[in-house]
Amino acid sequence: MDELYLDNIDEFVNDHNKIVTYKWLSLTLGVHVNVAKQMLYHYLDHKRKESSAQLHATYLVSGKLVENGQTSHRVSVVREEQLEDVKSKMSVTVSVHVYSVQKAGLKDSGPLYSVDYDAVKNNLKNCSRYSAIRCASAVPMSSAEVQQAREMERAVVPEPQNAKTVMNGHASVASKPSTKPPKGIMGMFANKPTPKNEDAGKEIKLEPKESAAVVEAPKTKPAAKTNPMANFFGNQAAKRPEKTVKEEEGAPSSSSVEQRPSSSRAEEIQEAVTVEQPREAKKESRSKTKRVEDSDSEEEKMEKKKRRRIKKPEPDSSDDEVIPDSPQRHEAREPSPRSEREEMTSASRPQQENSGIKTRKRRRVLKSRTFVDEEGCIVTEKGYESESYSETEDDVQPTRSAPKDPIPAKIPASRKEDEKPTKSQKKAAASANKGTKQASIMGFFQKK
Amino acid sequence: MFSELSAQREASSLLCRPASEDQGPVFDRVLQAYTPCSERFKLGERSFSRQYAHIYAARLMQMRPLLTERAQQKWGVNVRIRKLCDLQTGEQCCIVGTLFKHMELQPSILKEISEEHNLLPQPARARYISDADELILEDELQRIKLEGKIDKDKCVTGSVIAIYGAEKNDGKFTVEEFCTADLPLQTPRPSLSSDKFVLLASGLGLGSSHADSMLGLQLLVDMITGQLGDQGEQSGAASISRVLLAGNLLSQSTQNKEDSTKAKYLTKKTQAGSVEAIRLLDELLLQLVASVPVDVMPGQYDPTNYTLPQQPLHRCMFPLCSVYPTLQLVSNPYQANIDGVKFLGTSGQNVSDIQKYSSVDSHLDILENTLRLRHLAPTAPDTLGCYPFYQKDPFVLEECPHVYFSGNAPSFDCKSDSITKSLTEVLLVTVPEFSSTQMACLVNLRTLECEPVTFSAFSADDDDESEMNISH
Repeated sequence: MDELYLDNIDEFVNDHNKIVTYKWLSLTLGVHVNVAKQMLYHYLDHKRKESSAQLHATYLVSGKLVENGQTSHRVSVVREEQLEDVKSKMSVTVSVHVYSVQKAGLKDSGPLYSVDYDAVKNNLKNCSRYSAIRCASAVPMSSAEVQQAREMERAVVPEPQNAKTVMNGHASVASKPSTKPPKGIMGMFANKPTPKNEDAGKEIKLEPKESAAVVEAPKTKPAAKTNPMANFFGNQAAKRPEKTVKEEEGAPSSSSVEQRPSSSRAEEIQEAVTVEQPREAKKESRSKTKRVEDSDSEEEKMEKKKRRRIKKPEPDSSDDEVIPDSPQRHEAREPSPRSEREEMTSASRPQQENSGIKTRKRRRVLKSRTFVDEEGCIVTEKGYESESYSETEDDVQPTRSAPKDPIPAKIPASRKEDEKPTKSQKKAAASANKGTKQASIMGFFQKK
Repeated sequence: MFSELSAQREASSLLCRPASEDQGPVFDRVLQAYTPCSERFKLGERSFSRQYAHIYAARLMQMRPLLTERAQQKWGVNVRIRKLCDLQTGEQCCIVGTLFKHMELQPSILKEISEEHNLLPQPARARYISDADELILEDELQRIKLEGKIDKDKCVTGSVIAIYGAEKNDGKFTVEEFCTADLPLQTPRPSLSSDKFVLLASGLGLGSSHADSMLGLQLLVDMITGQLGDQGEQSGAASISRVLLAGNLLSQSTQNKEDSTKAKYLTKKTQAGSVEAIRLLDELLLQLVASVPVDVMPGQYDPTNYTLPQQPLHRCMFPLCSVYPTLQLVSNPYQANIDGVKFLGTSGQNVSDIQKYSSVDSHLDILENTLRLRHLAPTAPDTLGCYPFYQKDPFVLEECPHVYFSGNAPSFDCKSDSITKSLTEVLLVTVPEFSSTQMACLVNLRTLECEPVTFSAFSADDDDESEMNISH
């Protein structure tokens, strides 16, 4: 081996005034760590013989040490003058080698770490290329493989999770209802935008369904009521894939007790659709007159105040407030193409409903939505969405919600009778669900 | 052990000139069969609307048959086993139930609220035991106060035990003897032909202000990855077939709790301390996973859920090392089968919690007690955060592990011989906190022996070698 490296090390140590550790040298010169250790020794030896400028070295000593009756394997970095001392204390010395060479004496070992840290950081991808140990299985996966592995994980996860939860007692009969009923209703909401986006022809049919769903909804999803419809839809449309997936996952695992109420509810909705359809026209005409609105909005305000206390079952969809102090993306002023598209889809609705009473405007609000991803992690995404509003916001909200409130009051007694058994059934199943319970009490007051 | 194994080759080959063009020896990492068995600690659905009473009910139901059997072994097959509701005064009998220790000093939020007007804040305590503590045994329906031959300071709430004695006229039960469920059954481990090691470390404490302990950590990494030392040392290090990091990878100081109470505009531009620490951890782990399989358990101060069982850290926090198949992010009670040797352990919250609520000091003794109680964390959910389990208590030990450890102990300790009965062999290890002790430990899978490995560097003020071990 030529001895060019001696000049190299000399340059690093004397000219650059560096601390040269074996690891740094190994990474810099691209040699095996053991060779680097020997190079440092050779250099030190060589310089000492020349007896030129003074050099300081640190050594690594490892071996068996018995201390306070406890045997341990000790790995130490020591200054040269302590070397013999340390070696003598060890009952078995395993290895001794030069750790570093530098011009100035080191007060403490801190700089040794920083030198290595910088070297390692620059070579993170192949930091153990020159080490003495190879690990056959430690091969980084390519991005495609990573993707594949994660997909495998995802595919596998739902299975064992179900089995697991049964084993662990998570999939208990009483616990399911707590999440189930809101989900079912959410599912009803969530599924709606699909046909709507696909063809506008079904819209007429959808609308009554919507209101029927709302009749059912107040107990579990009070906050949704206060939103403008368009916004509601825009929100749901974005979230829909997630929801439906969840539905599909959830459905098979739910017990038969669970499915019965929900299916009966679905029937009820169908029924409601037919019942409510004629009323729809009336409703719309009513909402145009200001007088009715005012009387309603009083009630509405009270409602809202009370509702604030209700535990929201799905905070993501109801969290529509503009968050003024959030630091993110203030510069994003222009509406994105996506939101424009949304505007297109939702623009038809308000006009149809309100028959152009007010001037509609768009504004962008920062919304956060939270959902549980495939691995059961709760993910919160913040994004700007455009929603429509009119300058007289108070007027719009009553027109939105006005149709909802009178309806429960006007439900024929017979229908209420129908509803009750299913509700009590639901309650029996969902004994643990606070959200529904509280909301249903609200519903009780509302009807009085 | 490890030293001798490593010293077998002739040393001092490095204190010479580089011999030739060859690039030095390269050893292959010894690999092993590995099966993770932590499924029961994974949470599927997370519903926090339930009460905690179910855990105790489930625990008692799971453990009653075991204790009944033990009681019959100990006090004869004909021993009368009563429920508390059938108890008759003066009758000698055995009762199986859950212990509850009524403690005056136990912090209680209700007390704080109700008494906040007349009471000064209590000083923080290291221990919450006092002479006024009372032991109470509960079964499904009733409870009874205990006295007699049972040391209340050593018992903790939540342990299921069987007591033998009689109820006296004053309504208290005088205990003559009691027994625990004791060690579960164990499947024998296969005998290995060669020495293989698993390195256990905990409490790396990244992101702390003590940066001087970082060299020790780097030495640990360098030793494992085969950079340090002589050929002998490197070949020894190649037999470390797995590294297990048992929690508290980040330091407590990365959790600046006051940030949550500060006004938002004040903390808008500050970055959480844990961000930088996680980046450091990612780089450190990258060096490790490129060379050895690593299991990473979360601990008390790590960014995952606080309640037991702690779920694995999310891999998106480790952009560099998560591409390696050798990185395993695992849950906090951790269970795995490594070459037929069953490992079970925690990051130490269960042990340090029991330490606060009992008079037992040594982490090792507490660890042994939990094994004998056949329960990983008896004080959960009373004083230790825990998920509201419903039908099953996953912390009840169903099978005896070969290596039972807990992390973040103040010192290294291990024990294997004294608790071995006929066929059961268990190695108990308290894994020391690395940031304060600069110590990790190596478990030999062949012999089930454990040996500490310490790292030291010199610092400014110690000229004497014996002071070199970093002691803050």
